Amino acid sequence: MLVFANPVFLWALTAAAIPLMLHLFQRRKTVVTPFPTLRFLKVAQKRSSSRIRFENLLLWLLRTLLLLTIAMAFAVPVLRSTNGASWLSRTRRDVAIVLDASYSMNYEMDRGKVWDICKDAAAGVIGGLFPGDRVCVYVAADTPVPVIEKPTTEHATVIQAIRGLTCQPGSSKLDETIAMAVRALEQQEGRREKEVYVMTDGQAIPWQGFRDAAKREDLPSSDKKATLSREERDKISFFALMAGAQQPDNTCPSDVKVSPSLLLSGQNARINVRVAHTGAAKQVSVGLEIDGQERGRRSLSAEPNAQGTLEFAVGGLEPGVHIAKIVTPQDALPEDDNFLFLLRVRKQLPALIVGPQEATRYLKAALAPGAADDSVKQIEAAELESIDLRDYQAVFLCDVFPLSGQAILRVEDYAKTGGVVIVFPGDRADAAAYADMKILPAQPKGSIDIPVESSARQLKRLPNQKDQVVNFNLSLPPGTVPTVALKRALTFGDLQESAAVLVTAGDNTPFMLGRAVGRGRIFMFGIAANRDWSTFPLTAFFLPVVHQLIRQGAGASLQPPHLTMGANIPVNEAIPNYREDDAINSPSGPPLSVKDGGNRVFVIESLAEPGIYTRAKSTSGQPEPVLAVNTDRFESNLTPITPEELTQWTGFKRLLTAKDPEELTRLIDEFRNGRSLAEVFFWIALLLSLLEWWFANRTLRSQTGATEKLKVDLSGKVATS
Amino acid sequence: MSEEGIGAYLNPAQMAKLNRLALNSRYVVEGTLAGRHRSAQKGASTEFADHRSYMPGDDLKRIDWKVLGRTDKYYVRRYQDETNLRVYLLVDRSGSMNYSSGEHKTKFNYACTLAAAIGYVVLKARDAVGMYIYGEKMDAALPCKNSFNELNNALKILQGYKPAKGTAGADVMHQIAESINRRAMVVIISDLLDNQPEIIKAIAHFRKNLHDVIVFHTFDPVELTLDIKRGAEFEDLETGEHMIADPRTMAKEYKDLMGAFIEEYRSACSEMKVDYRLVKTDEPVDTFVRAYLEERKRLSR
Repeated sequence: MLVFANPVFLWALTAAAIPLMLHLFQRRKTVVTPFPTLRFLKVAQKRSSSRIRFENLLLWLLRTLLLLTIAMAFAVPVLRSTNGASWLSRTRRDVAIVLDASYSMNYEMDRGKVWDICKDAAAGVIGGLFPGDRVCVYVAADTPVPVIEKPTTEHATVIQAIRGLTCQPGSSKLDETIAMAVRALEQQEGRREKEVYVMTDGQAIPWQGFRDAAKREDLPSSDKKATLSREERDKISFFALMAGAQQPDNTCPSDVKVSPSLLLSGQNARINVRVAHTGAAKQVSVGLEIDGQERGRRSLSAEPNAQGTLEFAVGGLEPGVHIAKIVTPQDALPEDDNFLFLLRVRKQLPALIVGPQEATRYLKAALAPGAADDSVKQIEAAELESIDLRDYQAVFLCDVFPLSGQAILRVEDYAKTGGVVIVFPGDRADAAAYADMKILPAQPKGSIDIPVESSARQLKRLPNQKDQVVNFNLSLPPGTVPTVALKRALTFGDLQESAAVLVTAGDNTPFMLGRAVGRGRIFMFGIAANRDWSTFPLTAFFLPVVHQLIRQGAGASLQPPHLTMGANIPVNEAIPNYREDDAINSPSGPPLSVKDGGNRVFVIESLAEPGIYTRAKSTSGQPEPVLAVNTDRFESNLTPITPEELTQWTGFKRLLTAKDPEELTRLIDEFRNGRSLAEVFFWIALLLSLLEWWFANRTLRSQTGATEKLKVDLSGKVATS
Repeated sequence: MSEEGIGAYLNPAQMAKLNRLALNSRYVVEGTLAGRHRSAQKGASTEFADHRSYMPGDDLKRIDWKVLGRTDKYYVRRYQDETNLRVYLLVDRSGSMNYSSGEHKTKFNYACTLAAAIGYVVLKARDAVGMYIYGEKMDAALPCKNSFNELNNALKILQGYKPAKGTAGADVMHQIAESINRRAMVVIISDLLDNQPEIIKAIAHFRKNLHDVIVFHTFDPVELTLDIKRGAEFEDLETGEHMIADPRTMAKEYKDLMGAFIEEYRSACSEMKVDYRLVKTDEPVDTFVRAYLEERKRLSR
């Protein structure tokens, strides 16, 4: 909308008629000039009349336009982008400030951190409001945080609150926060202009929520609270300050994978590192530190806006938990230059064998071939009620049924929390003795004696079936033919949920069954662990099968080497051998709040701080590292959003984007007061006057005619050129 | 102009500059006196012309005895006659000749001065000069004389005329062409602002009678360029017609037209072997005449 600051000067537009009036009422003062003959003049006038008429028309247009432009310039036209507000911004307005608090806002620029620039800009926006204007502030972090929830006129308080804000180590959800801010503005009464100011670094990722929401809009289950309606996008004015670098440069380790996942003492660990890079291609030096000592350094050619991988090989690690760190060179965003993870090195995998001596003899010999091996313990079934099973990777139950109810509960609890239970039947129990243990893959129905002529059976690994949860690879030494001679075998009823027959003896006699129980596994054999039912303990593949079962147990309860910040982390999964009385301390010191989720499941409500979390056991005062937590490196991708993407993703009708606070101030001024076009009109007037001067005088400049082309020498001789 | 005759147009210094110059005809002429110009007649010069058969009455001294010895026939030798040059000055006093842009003489005044200079040069070479003055009609016809007194008298008569109102250049020229009965040199001093084809025909009439014709096409410089800085109401000097125009806006078209007008005369004169010269009134007469005669002398070698 075009309005005028000095409309009185619009009267001067009538001056545009001056050239025409002068032309019409000009009194020509001519001097009578004798001339030899008029015949050439008449013809020349006739020939030039159309040209002169055209030139005069152009000249008249130029002069009229010039006078119009000058009059318009003095009237100070102002171009306003809104038409709802009254003139000179004397309207009340409700303003929401949305601050992006992701850690990418810590990017260091020449004029300071982006976060500080944005806070200053926010304070500047509030400072530019009139006393009756209301303002609220929201911080876009992993979840929207209302700093000043309801719009208030206490501007000083709001500025003070903004000054006290700190940048969060996580990511930000701008879409949800903006939606929340818009809702806060809409709840206010009164007819006011509503403006939302988003202070961010210009990174594309926080805006992707808008893009994804647009895709979800058609779905009936979309969360409408987190998205803005078309009407809201059209009605409210949005200002975005993209204060970050136009061409950011950032390199960070984004992920680490350790193999093998179960690391035993003496084994070499291979550490695969993924390095993310934003910016132009360059050479990056990546280091590996373990327990504070550098253990390796590799060079990587980082491609523009891409990820690269490299690998470290580490050997000779002592048993225990080692704090490891991948380090990239320090850059403008130091928050993501380190990537922490834990290397848990185990000396051995402890196993518990429960059962009488005669039933467990072969098993104990297979697992602990040495005379004394601390990793394997054999107890009687009666002791099962008093021993803490969580100290063992696997529990072998050999001919222990029937068990007491307490013992069954302990075994089931152990399995559900990540343990592995391997059940071998025996002669002491009939099929009904197994009925109390509900977690078995299938309930035994009885046993059958197998004739000698059909006793030789080849073990067959059944391929994974659909929806099969338990997987087991019968990987045997080369050349081994898995054949056993069966004397007796259990028969089973229907398979339980998440259970499967993994190995059969012959075509259809179940030999080994498996079932996923909670986070753990339970395996059940159809034969006893000694020679009474089969020759299985004497075969060459008895030992590898048993070891694989223990390793599977260790793998099933394996803790990840690192975690990403977040909420509701299951403690049992994240921390090995967690006990209720363990205190988990955050990197900065305060203990974490661990919530009992019921059914013996504990969760950490929030891992809000990157670093090494430690556990202090009640029995010993020495804290041990249990969690390595890193920021979500998704946020480290600093690729800026383009104005086209911003418009397309957000769908905001009235969106103004500024690259720095000064431009934001100018945009706000132009938006509220309009953009003055007086200077533009003066420039046009100057241009027109120059054009008029040139055009009006071109006729006065010498124009070579045929007379001047005649060459007349001193003697009067004429020669044409 | 207190002096009369040639002194009114040429000062002694100018006459001194013109002293050693001569106006030679490019063709044979017919004069009444012996002179240094080739005559159409056979006469008593030393330059051999041809033989012809002896006829009774011929002077015996002219018999070529060598030819008689070779052929046994009587032949007499004939020699090229030499005569004086008769130059007729045609001075235009039409209304358009009364123009001056202000800084220079009027074209008529310039034409008179030019006629005086040419006449002086002709008489200094002992040739004869006559004069025709015309405007709307033949005003004066002065016969050829080889006397400075006669030139003075002619110039006095010329001095007494002022430019006329109209022009009848073509008709007068035809009349003059008919009146000059022997081959002579005709010098036309005019702006030739008349019916162009008729003027060209009149010039052709002179050439048809085997006269050597020189045209001094006289212009004021402003006439050629229309270099007038402001709009004006122009008055035709011959018809008295008025016209308002802005010369700045139509200068180019005017110059093109004037260029075509001059070129038409130049090409016509070139075809008729008439010596066409464009004279501007801002050039000193003596300088122009000297340059012209030297150029003419160089071309006649």
